[in-house]
Amino acid sequence: MFKASNGEEIFIIDAHIALWDGSKENQLNIHGEQFISCFYDYHKNLSPKEYWWPKDEFVKYSPEKLVNDVFMEGYVDMAIFQPVFLKEFYKNGFGNFDANEELSKKYPNRFICNGTFDPRHGERGLEKLEENKEKYNWQGVKLYTADWYGNSKGYKLSDDWSKRYLEKCQELGIRNIHIHKGPTITPLNRDAFDVADVDDAASCFPELNFIVEHVGLPRLEDFCWIATQEKNVYAGLAVAIALIHDRPRYFAHIISELLYWLDEDRIIFGSDYAIWEPKWIIEKFLEFELPEDIQEETGVTFDLEVKKKILAGNAARLYNIDIEKQKEKLKNCQLSKWIA
Amino acid sequence: MDKEKQVYSMLEKVYDPELDQPLTELGFIDQVLVKDNHVKVVFRLPTYWCSPNFAYIMAEDIRKYVSEIEWVKTVQVHLLDHCASDEINHGASAGKSFREVFHNVSDGDLEELRKTFDIKAYYARQEKLMKYLLKIGMSKEEITSLSLQELNELSLPEEGRLLREKYLEKKKVFHHSSTFAITTPEGKPLTEEEFSDYLKGAKLTRLSMEFNAHYCRGLLEARYNLSAAYEGSLAK
Repeated sequence: MFKASNGEEIFIIDAHIALWDGSKENQLNIHGEQFISCFYDYHKNLSPKEYWWPKDEFVKYSPEKLVNDVFMEGYVDMAIFQPVFLKEFYKNGFGNFDANEELSKKYPNRFICNGTFDPRHGERGLEKLEENKEKYNWQGVKLYTADWYGNSKGYKLSDDWSKRYLEKCQELGIRNIHIHKGPTITPLNRDAFDVADVDDAASCFPELNFIVEHVGLPRLEDFCWIATQEKNVYAGLAVAIALIHDRPRYFAHIISELLYWLDEDRIIFGSDYAIWEPKWIIEKFLEFELPEDIQEETGVTFDLEVKKKILAGNAARLYNIDIEKQKEKLKNCQLSKWIA
Repeated sequence: MDKEKQVYSMLEKVYDPELDQPLTELGFIDQVLVKDNHVKVVFRLPTYWCSPNFAYIMAEDIRKYVSEIEWVKTVQVHLLDHCASDEINHGASAGKSFREVFHNVSDGDLEELRKTFDIKAYYARQEKLMKYLLKIGMSKEEITSLSLQELNELSLPEEGRLLREKYLEKKKVFHHSSTFAITTPEGKPLTEEEFSDYLKGAKLTRLSMEFNAHYCRGLLEARYNLSAAYEGSLAK
């Protein structure tokens, strides 16, 4: 909850957080080491200096630290886990469903634990998806199309097997498909960040919501084009919003373009914790105003009402959260007492 | 000019296709080693995961441009700290095609990809020029009806001259037959009605490329702990 200067309490859903283990002990190979180092460079590149973590803490942090940074310090009321596994790089995986579940049980009503699948696991994976839905009651999945699996260096949402998995999601009521597009997807002679497969999947599965994390960056233009055509495509702001400190004019351009091409109902806040802490992002986001010249080019509105939709309203709609009821539920939660 | 400087001046022609900026300005060149008539160019990228196809394009172009220097006999290209360093270094130094090197994970060469990014760079450079022309008071009609010759003859201050030069340099790649100065990448002139929408689309491409450039520079700096002083010298 963020208390605005007029006393208004602003409810916040952070739709992109993680609890990971990138430690040396868990790394399988050099790729595991490089993966977490790359995250650490993202962290240092865009965080304000006073929020830089020491690297040894960054590679593996405790659930208590997460709770502190996200809820106690970070103004967030609810957070959504978007796990990434990377089994080819880490012995026990980078993320871990059970660790997420455990934390969610400890602090009821605070977390939504999304799952994942890999269409390259074939029939066996389809069965597993059903089992997991049963066990964890997933409402969404995070897909990392750049993940390695055997000789494969990635997959596309337009692959036949991906479609079978999406069909299964539709059947099971897993409605929110969060996609992170990373590089190294074959065939390697094409643009590795191409988001065209999202277009295909979104038009095949109109009942599912496709939240493109990092707004398709580095292919913002392709993403906006697709999102204009497909109304079930959403912009996940993780990464883009972290520019707000170091590159505020770029952030202004990006948010202004997103509001213009997509409208204010399809943009969703995510800090990408622990790459960045929600505290500084939310503070800066709430006080941010579009520079006049940028606002004039698109003519969009970026006021408190719009910010509230981005910070909670839009994600609440996708995850069937009634914000007023949720506030009541959280009033007596142990964390609320600590924060007060 | 000494040999090393000659190599650097050729490297100024090598662009990151995705960012549309020269490697020398991005800080991607780590060092140049010259021994007699043999050159080794060592380069580095902002992450271990940067797309191998873009890395390959850069490696190929380094070899191609440096080989154009009269005294150069061999060019060895060496990419540091990358998930596909070995394949890229062996392949590009030996002048092999991308398809030969990555035959198991590619179904062709990089020509399509180069073209896609030429088009993006074209939009980005064109948008900057069009905005500039609007800013100095030209109307949409004047801009859409401008011929190449008229654009070349416009008397512009330095900023405008640079934008024009950059745009025309990219336009050459497409071999347009039309004599209009401002056309789509396919060479079709714009109508006054199409002008605003076209510009909005081109702007999105320009923003995307600029965002990538900023992000990549920052990551390179974080990855190699480049000091502020070093960054300053890059900006020269």
